[in-house]
Amino acid sequence: MSELTLAPALLLVGWGTLVALDLVSVPQAMIARPIVAGAVAGWICGDLDAGLRVGLLFELFALDVLPVGAVRYPDYGPATVVATALAAGAPWQFALGLSAALGLVLAVLGGLSLQLVRRLNARAIQHRAAALAAGESSAIRRLQYGGLLRDALRGALLTSLGLLAAWVIDARVRLDGSTALGLTLVAVGCALSAAAGGALRSAGRGARLRWLAAGAVVGLVLAVLA
Amino acid sequence: MNGGWRAFIRLLAIQGTWNYERMLGVGMGYAAEPLLDDLKTIDPVRHSEAVVRSTDFFNCNPNLAGLALGATTRAEYDAVAGSQIARLRTALCSPLGALGDQLFWAGLIPALLGFAMAAIALGARWWPVLGFLALYNVARALTGIWALRTGYDSGMNVGAAIARSWIPGAIARVGPVAGFALGLALPLVATWYLRGIGWAGALGTLAVAATGIAVTRWYGAALTTVRFALLAILLLVLFRGIFP
Repeated sequence: MSELTLAPALLLVGWGTLVALDLVSVPQAMIARPIVAGAVAGWICGDLDAGLRVGLLFELFALDVLPVGAVRYPDYGPATVVATALAAGAPWQFALGLSAALGLVLAVLGGLSLQLVRRLNARAIQHRAAALAAGESSAIRRLQYGGLLRDALRGALLTSLGLLAAWVIDARVRLDGSTALGLTLVAVGCALSAAAGGALRSAGRGARLRWLAAGAVVGLVLAVLA
Repeated sequence: MNGGWRAFIRLLAIQGTWNYERMLGVGMGYAAEPLLDDLKTIDPVRHSEAVVRSTDFFNCNPNLAGLALGATTRAEYDAVAGSQIARLRTALCSPLGALGDQLFWAGLIPALLGFAMAAIALGARWWPVLGFLALYNVARALTGIWALRTGYDSGMNVGAAIARSWIPGAIARVGPVAGFALGLALPLVATWYLRGIGWAGALGTLAVAATGIAVTRWYGAALTTVRFALLAILLLVLFRGIFP
């Protein structure tokens, strides 16, 4: 983990908050996608490569689930920001596994916190049911701003706690080289299984499966040539 | 359509009060507010009823919500019976959800992400990230503007307008592109991570990946890939702790 002064730490919390808001509440501009969240977090930490390595890893995990309707899914945005901060400034082969472990725990917590915000939103609506039934526009606005505020607080809290955990891990946990590398390989393997499983599921058995296979063949050829 | 741009901006926060009871309902009411402003002077009673209806249960893909918002707003100005507007709103939930999710979540987003990941793995660094953001947001903004206008122009006939629109054709085209892009990205990204690790490490990683695909398919929702990953990491740490 790079030495984090107050300014980058605050920037990371701010970025984590925006990323958490983007997932569902506003503006769904896809800055919550790990590939974006990680790249910007890497840039803030002064290690863009770490951001891309962590971002791509969590993007593979995120491709497993389509966040549609009322589906429950992990929140990979703040998790990617925190994991990038932990991985920054160290050789990725040894840092990626441990940061992925922390990020995955945070992603699960982020998903649970999203359920909590949704329940709190429902409770707020019940409290203002009479005003809504009377067609009061001000009640709608208050509910909307309250929902956004709750989600922003969720993101800020999640990122702050995550950064604190990252700082403790960086200060206390010392892994030998082979364990650190093993963790990275396990994390990469699991991420690849998530993305491949998601791609196969969404491909079904029709034309899309044939295009998936064609893409894989082209990708393999390019990987050999590159 | 007065207040159209304000409604469009507010549609970006349509999921701001997402909950399991009304889902997007309150967000729809928030976006409808500027569109219904003129009704306040034309017919204040009707305006109050329209505001109440606008916050009822609603759910669909947020990028296509403008179709329902425009159509129901137009119906309010056309003095269509409230019960008919409520039925239209309910009837639009499933098709707009299915079409929007197929177009964006299962189509455009994985397609753009697949190409972006492949480009990063080939050494392009940060520009594919910018490209992904730019292309997605342009497509999404144009779709949102089109949806709001089409909904408002069609009113109660919005169903026919959707069936005649470019959306079904775009879904048919973008799905295979998404499949190709993801297929392209996976071997490139795997190579990007595993190059220089050595054959033993690479084979071990691919074995973990194959096991992950098999067991998560076998156990379904009980063992998600995240749970599998955390379990695998825990087992490795325990193993290394016992056999250092």
